[in-house]
Amino acid sequence: MNLPDYEFLSAPLWLITVLHILTLTLHFVAMNFLVGGVIMVLYAATRKRWDDPTLKKFGKMFPAAMAATVTLGVAPLLFVQMVYHRQIYSAAIVSGWFWLGIIGVAIAVYYALYRSSLRSEKTGTVSRAALLLALAGLVYISLTYSSIFSLAERPDQMRQLYAQDPTGLVWNPAASDYVLRWLHMILGAVTVGGFFIGMLGRDDPAVFALGKRFFLGGMILAALTGLAYTISLRPYLPALMRSPAIWGLAVGVVLSAGALHFFFKRNFCAAGTMLFVSLLTMVHARHTVRVLKLTGQFDPHSWRVAPQWSVFALFLVCFVVMLAVVVYMLRLVARAK
Amino acid sequence: MIYPFWDVPFSYGILMAVIAVLHVFVSHFAIGGGLFLVVTEHRARRAGDTATLEFLQKLSKMFALVSLVFGALTGVGIWFIIGLLNPTATEALIHNFVWGWAIEWTFFVVEITAAIIYYYGWQRLSARDHLIVGWIYFIAAWLSLFIINGIVAFMLTPGQWLVTGNFWDGFFNPTYWSQLVLRTGICVMLAGLYALLVAARYEASDFKARTVRYSVRWGLIGLAVVAVSLAWYWRTIPAEITGKALQVMPASIKAFHVNSWLLLALAGALAVSWLLARRLPVVLAVVLLALGLAWFGAFEQFRESVRKPFVVTGYIYGNGVPVAKAKAYQQAGLLTQIAYTTGDDGADLFRHSCRSCHTLTGSRPLRPAFDGTDRAFIAAIVRGAHLLKGNMPPFPGTAAEADKIAGYLYERIDHTPIRDGTRAYEVRCGKCHVVGAASDKSKTFTGLSAEDLSGMLDAADSLGEGMPAYTGDAEERAALISYLQQLGKQAKP
Repeated sequence: MNLPDYEFLSAPLWLITVLHILTLTLHFVAMNFLVGGVIMVLYAATRKRWDDPTLKKFGKMFPAAMAATVTLGVAPLLFVQMVYHRQIYSAAIVSGWFWLGIIGVAIAVYYALYRSSLRSEKTGTVSRAALLLALAGLVYISLTYSSIFSLAERPDQMRQLYAQDPTGLVWNPAASDYVLRWLHMILGAVTVGGFFIGMLGRDDPAVFALGKRFFLGGMILAALTGLAYTISLRPYLPALMRSPAIWGLAVGVVLSAGALHFFFKRNFCAAGTMLFVSLLTMVHARHTVRVLKLTGQFDPHSWRVAPQWSVFALFLVCFVVMLAVVVYMLRLVARAK
Repeated sequence: MIYPFWDVPFSYGILMAVIAVLHVFVSHFAIGGGLFLVVTEHRARRAGDTATLEFLQKLSKMFALVSLVFGALTGVGIWFIIGLLNPTATEALIHNFVWGWAIEWTFFVVEITAAIIYYYGWQRLSARDHLIVGWIYFIAAWLSLFIINGIVAFMLTPGQWLVTGNFWDGFFNPTYWSQLVLRTGICVMLAGLYALLVAARYEASDFKARTVRYSVRWGLIGLAVVAVSLAWYWRTIPAEITGKALQVMPASIKAFHVNSWLLLALAGALAVSWLLARRLPVVLAVVLLALGLAWFGAFEQFRESVRKPFVVTGYIYGNGVPVAKAKAYQQAGLLTQIAYTTGDDGADLFRHSCRSCHTLTGSRPLRPAFDGTDRAFIAAIVRGAHLLKGNMPPFPGTAAEADKIAGYLYERIDHTPIRDGTRAYEVRCGKCHVVGAASDKSKTFTGLSAEDLSGMLDAADSLGEGMPAYTGDAEERAALISYLQQLGKQAKP
């Protein structure tokens, strides 16, 4: 009996790529809200503003933001695995314990965020400590992701590292591959966090000023680290410059500046939209860098395509229903307020 | 073999079980709990029962913390762990079922959003809107079960998919519906058990008695559905799988039997809870939950182990070798297929052929299975792995590679010669011929002299397919012959 082949893509590559980039951007929005928000609330606590009502309100949203980060993170992981599983699983196995550790740490972060949001003690000491613990956990998770996904772009290095130690206790030693990228992402999170806190605290001048400071400062620092990271890509830079991603990045930079302008004008809808599109262009650039780094070792176009259109159509229907139901429930909440 | 092998000191089964069993326990509760909350809230609101509404608020807090946090993240954890433990099978599942998972994700988004709004909405939403959100939560949660059930069932019974490769054939496979009903029953049962835990924390009162009995009813209804659908589930598993399990896989069958006994124990404990309703101690509620977890663990162990030697029945072996490629590997050699090597061929071959299920000294250990033997014997056993008891996959390499594994194992075993007849039988013969069970040959020894038996051992490798040559020394041989004579005498004609 000829058994069915499993080495195929059940949708065209471009469609999977679009879905991956779109859902990863959504994941980053939630993640940035969370990471940036936690950093800012902790910063405010050092300035004796722990009990600020807007920041309190912001802190209470962290558990839900964590839920959104996890939930929105599932889809991009699914789509990226569909094409690049051979690189990603291999890198995850080489760093197996660190990869698996993400789950335990994420559970601890989640509970720490709940504990912190309750603020059940008067002094706030335990809640602050819980929030600090959550930040430490988020740093671990984000750094581990950056490390493993960078390793996945270097099959030769993976083989060498595995030959030295097959027990999954290897941490990617090529820090130059991912530290700048990770830092850029964290500073980007501070930027987006600044946007959200400024938007939520628009009626409180002190909170708006805090959001403004983080939005502006985060953006400048994120731009600098982003530039440094791009320069660090030297061997791939010429190819990146010739790719459409560079145009996307240019648009992204302009939109980021535009977002800043509209944020200062308190037009949060325009600023938010520009920020989102700018994030989308950066995720696209990130994807392009992966493809460039893998050139010569893996070509995603080499997959045979055998679309499962009927199931895909059902997914689209469910996706639309999902959006409608979520919007409906949010409207119920808004109506209650 | 395109992936590296994660070499951890534990059995893969234990790693998988720790995450998977805890996840399914919580995720099924998350579905049943959703139904329990919304149905009970509906009744309480209609009756104006504020005490029950307060109870439900407490329950939903635990529900949110346990299911949203632990359930969601261990669900992601399953993704992580299957990619680490069997990347080839995960790859095959991803390529075939990615849109199934994508659909499940849409339900997951709705489920999580609804759970958060429901939890925070007790004081903020109107009664009507709160109930609507509760129902949305339950429907989305159950629909996610509807989807994932197809993929989980596929791994045991891919059915017509093996011929057509069609998504829907794989999804609505032979055990799909029976498993869906079974898992729905589990959800309802677990909802009752969790509610009992919250109710048990109340002081003795009429309210507590009422709530405990109400929760026990949920537990019993779920349990009844489970009992009936478990029998249906067994029938829908193809006879060739269950038949083989009954013959050569005592561990799987034992898990199924343990399962039935635990169900009875659960029913008994629920009955006691009914009688002690007014004063139900927290300890008993914890025992009930522990019984539920143990039952679920036994069921999942049965489901996972009964499909041996496959991870996807008839398609991919447990060690990650696709059935369609096994012959090619045997001809070309496994080493040519291993992309990530460590420089030690024996170790690499051992990892990719055996380590998914066996360790050297931990779970399903190979050291005691070969202590006191020799390299030639080990190599013969490796070559004939598919003929051993316990339903093993065929060795996916050449004879020379089997010898390399044997060399690797031989360096790590105890070389003290075997001097005990029972032990010699266990090591040399018991891997296939179990006294009183699988392939028992005791009767054939009846009336044979020591010389006859010695001659039989001399010709062992010609007695049947995969039989290894007897390579023990003279003293071991004498002890084994004495034991074989003893078996012959004890054998019933």
